[in-house]
Amino acid sequence: MIGARALGLVALLAALTGCGPGADTKPLNLSAGLPVGAALSLTGNANVYGQDQQIGLRLAQESVKGPGGKPVALRLEDGGSDEQSATSAFNLLIEGGAIALIGPTLSQQAFAADPIAQRRGVPVVAPSNTASGIPEIGSFISRVSAQSSVIAPLSIAKALELHPGIKRAAVFYAHDDAYSTSETTIFQKALSAKGLPPVTVQRTQLNDQDFQNQITAALRLKPDLIVLSLQAVDGGNLIRQLRELGYRGVIVVGNGMNTPNIYPICQKHCDGILIAQAYSPELDTPANREFVRRYKAAKGGAIPPQLTAQAFTALQVISEAADRLDRRQPLAKLNLRSARAALNSELLSGRYQTPLGEIGFTADGEVVQKQFFVAQVRMAPGGRTGRFALLN
Amino acid sequence: MPLDASLLVQMLLGALLGLSVYLPLRAGQLSLATPGFYAIGGYTAALLSTRFPALAGDGALYPLPSLLLELVLAALIAGALALAIGGPVLKLKGIYLAIATIALVEILRVLNLNLGFTGGATGLFAIPQPFEGPVGYLLLSLAVLALVCWLCARLERLRLGRAMEAIREDELAAACMGLDTARVKLLSFLFSALVAAVAGVISAHFLNTWNARQGSFDASITTLAFVVFGGSRTWLGPVVGGLALTALPELLRPVGDLRLVVYGLVILLGPILFPQGLITPELLRRLRWPFRQTSAEAPAP
Repeated sequence: MIGARALGLVALLAALTGCGPGADTKPLNLSAGLPVGAALSLTGNANVYGQDQQIGLRLAQESVKGPGGKPVALRLEDGGSDEQSATSAFNLLIEGGAIALIGPTLSQQAFAADPIAQRRGVPVVAPSNTASGIPEIGSFISRVSAQSSVIAPLSIAKALELHPGIKRAAVFYAHDDAYSTSETTIFQKALSAKGLPPVTVQRTQLNDQDFQNQITAALRLKPDLIVLSLQAVDGGNLIRQLRELGYRGVIVVGNGMNTPNIYPICQKHCDGILIAQAYSPELDTPANREFVRRYKAAKGGAIPPQLTAQAFTALQVISEAADRLDRRQPLAKLNLRSARAALNSELLSGRYQTPLGEIGFTADGEVVQKQFFVAQVRMAPGGRTGRFALLN
Repeated sequence: MPLDASLLVQMLLGALLGLSVYLPLRAGQLSLATPGFYAIGGYTAALLSTRFPALAGDGALYPLPSLLLELVLAALIAGALALAIGGPVLKLKGIYLAIATIALVEILRVLNLNLGFTGGATGLFAIPQPFEGPVGYLLLSLAVLALVCWLCARLERLRLGRAMEAIREDELAAACMGLDTARVKLLSFLFSALVAAVAGVISAHFLNTWNARQGSFDASITTLAFVVFGGSRTWLGPVVGGLALTALPELLRPVGDLRLVVYGLVILLGPILFPQGLITPELLRRLRWPFRQTSAEAPAP
């Protein structure tokens, strides 16, 4: 009797898993438009980033056209903030017949989910993974987000240029966060290279709310430059507490705080912080002017953040590459597997006029971007809203 | 269809973790150390497969003997740790034991974040694959789960299993009857560690990457929820709880933005409507479940 049940269970499992990689040989379904999948962090602690990205994808979907002038059929799934959810979302989108994927939001999720797409031969364009080693996951993995080792040192250089008297630097980072630990290494190297080895390195945790101990310990050493590698929520809180405890010096922050979502957290205390960015809303190119116009129209005059611009760029790159490919070799005649492979090589070989400026890719899939920016946060009187003002 | 092979693998791993929490609970011990041993298993697999090229073999796939070696080694390390700390820790009872085991999970997490060779917060990635696709993982985890379930079913009839139940019902009375309660509790803690470590090894390969977030306090609570939801009186309870609660967030995807709210409601309503968990010995008896249930069939004389 038990044997029969076990056999029944195995048969059930076999039936459930029956639809496997066989779907790859089906023709590409273009009836609703170019099928693109996106897995972003809409829940969990990375959702502040996912919200910014979601707007970018929506704007791109409205403005860019895929093959044959049809709009892109974008399917957005919640990738959560953990590895398991991102993996499930990727599997779902691949089975759903997506020709290319955008996501996941966090680098740690990418290390789990990207190998699946690589094995199935599905191109992935990462809109926000900045850790080193992402394009190296495989030939189908590329990113439009420049890695922190390129961007982070620029803000240190700018801070020293604006305040040449800086003598003592203190560094803060969250030791349980992958982004934070990898970026702080780059900041610390950049500081040492400028002859300013940090006088103290303070460690916090991602979910900390109260930083008084670390701040008091750091302020005792009288720093005149504080460098933070923290995410939006903990970083915003730390800046507020730093200012409230009397720190008046320069603050440089990393990519984790590159979102207007920090304004409500540190409010008037955000004013004056320096940040290096891979995107500036003040970049004067036709592509960016159009993107800023659309964003302002959608968000009541607000200024687009970097994550939104990068997510927009990811979808733009995919649809432009598909359009170019389709003109040369009609996509409708290809099966899913060969369409994915052809799109991947087309994608990596092209150049694109995007809100980030002109970009291209190395053969590995690493983004090649011409311009980076250093901005300073200027809060409006009242301290409720602000903007990243470009520094020249 | 959201219920694909890779979700099934995650569900089976969830069921294994549920069993790992259930085993000490059989002996009345509320241990939340499962994610700690799970992390040990994961790191063992991740380190061995990424740092020792000799194990990786020549082919495209990671050789199965190396995977077996990882399973054995992870079980040995987790087992040794469980035996070493089980003695003093199991002298604590109830909520104090729970706190001590949370501390163990936290210590391991902080160690993993700060030891150089564990890759810090980024963790270890590019873990080689022993199987072509999720179906291989499905068969492996199904086999492991079947073995553990069979052992648990056997345990319900064995002297050791009955001793565990006696301790759960009344530790003082069990000790008075001559049971070596310290030894029985230690064994249940050891079994829990072994199951979690094995799940960790499979999980590390399956996830392609391993980091300190896998063994966190949050995971302790999630795995405890498997047992509370499914029921802690028979081994089938945590299995059903682990399968159901792992699958639910994925199956609820059509609900859209509200899916985690619905998930939370289900976890909340489960214990309210079924205080003993979904699966109770009484339910199994009514359904004529083929495995004998000692606690249901043999009332105290």
